[in-house]
Amino acid sequence: VNLVPVTYKGGIYRHDEIMDLIEDLGGYIIQKHVLAQEVVLQALVPKDDIPLIASIARPLTGEIVPSPLVGTEIAVVTMSLEIHHLPHASCDVAEYIRRNGAKTNMVGLARGFGKRIAQLNDEERDVINEHDLAVFLLGDFETCIQQKFPVLRRGITIPIVICGGPDKETLQKIIDPPVDGYVGNIGRFMHRTKESEELEKLDEVVSEITRVLDNKREEMAKDPPSVSPARLMDAINEQVEEIHDVLSPTPLTVQIAGLRVKLPYDTFAPVLRKLTLEGEVTVGEVADVVPSRMRDYILIRIKPFSETNIMV
Amino acid sequence: MDAVEYFEVECPEKTGGDYYRRIADVVLLDHNLIRVVRKLHIFIDPRIPLFIAAGVTRKLPGIVRIRDFTDVNVQDQKVTISIGDETYLAPLLKILWERYGKERVEQPDRFTIVIRSEGAERSEIEEIPVYDPSESLYKDLIYAMQVIQPEGFKVRRQYYGKEKFYLVASENTLPENVEEIVRQKFALMGETL
Repeated sequence: VNLVPVTYKGGIYRHDEIMDLIEDLGGYIIQKHVLAQEVVLQALVPKDDIPLIASIARPLTGEIVPSPLVGTEIAVVTMSLEIHHLPHASCDVAEYIRRNGAKTNMVGLARGFGKRIAQLNDEERDVINEHDLAVFLLGDFETCIQQKFPVLRRGITIPIVICGGPDKETLQKIIDPPVDGYVGNIGRFMHRTKESEELEKLDEVVSEITRVLDNKREEMAKDPPSVSPARLMDAINEQVEEIHDVLSPTPLTVQIAGLRVKLPYDTFAPVLRKLTLEGEVTVGEVADVVPSRMRDYILIRIKPFSETNIMV
Repeated sequence: MDAVEYFEVECPEKTGGDYYRRIADVVLLDHNLIRVVRKLHIFIDPRIPLFIAAGVTRKLPGIVRIRDFTDVNVQDQKVTISIGDETYLAPLLKILWERYGKERVEQPDRFTIVIRSEGAERSEIEEIPVYDPSESLYKDLIYAMQVIQPEGFKVRRQYYGKEKFYLVASENTLPENVEEIVRQKFALMGETL
């Protein structure tokens, strides 16, 4: 089945019917937010069934829209957590991407500021590499970006989208080797983004991220993961009781080819490895269960089909 | 930035300079300093790198004395101070405690202070300085300049007083002739440091 990421927005009244419907159709609910009288569901649903869900949701005044960032975890890398970069532009960008369905984590570098003195330490590098994509929010001067960016990207293996003050063409010119995505004219600023042209700029960031992730998905489709991350999430939800006691906003964070499980590694890694998915297949066979650099969490990296020869 | 007589951002990179113009504008507005600044010249060269903010303030309000916000009444051995504006109450109490001792200063309600003291002169009490706005104002100004400057410029030199202020910052050691450069920036505004 071809699952596509969508967001459902509707009233709280009878929303459980929609949830049941999505699950019955073979889709997965990745996140559910209840905001007063409103429910926002982020889900993966079969593409052909979207009209069906829409028609059932219509009497409930619910609407379903495609949102390509659902099921991805994105690192928003800001040069520091000082007043110079927070809350604008870092939070504005992170919030806007979140609104489009992604799970964003803000990574504030300890020594990312400055031109000559900018650095990236090993913990920051590893944390960033645990995501699907990194958005680097850089400053306003091309001289600085040109000098510091090679240092900041050292060891980063995931796709990078960079945002900076100079225009897109200049960014493309000064960054060598090229990165996956560029958004110009969004560097350091100290005011809230609320004018339409500024919001358009944020839309541009989202579309650039979408484009880069689509490329990554396309690349992965040639050798798909042995199990869908959403399905793995479902299995953990069903079989590991303790996950329901975790108070983090997303105890299970779905990535494109993996899953972050917010349970302590030492206690739960063996449990997760032995979890059965279908018949005799266990999680340990189709994925690597490794410790995350983020707190004491667990990271599950799903192996591609070519490595396991198993498809669940 | 219309309220400011002179406002320039000098930068070899045009786009960067334009962004910093907007940043300076927003920061001064957010910190309520736009009406304090009369002239401001910002110089940024990311190649050196060097950041200079030099400015001239408007005439600042004078020192606040007790008579400016209270009524003082002297009766025999009792001085009654009725407070009109609570803003300066905390520094006022601190000064009175120091001068007369805590046991002699009473505050029956929010707007009244009673002092038991012999031979207190009304005029003498009225002239006691309570608060100097220029001191905190210059500190606020320098702080605002530090918010405007690119982060990571940790080597700084600052100066304020006599209606002028400047902040020089870099991530490297400051050039030796830095004061000479600052003087040039003041000259651009038609001022001398």
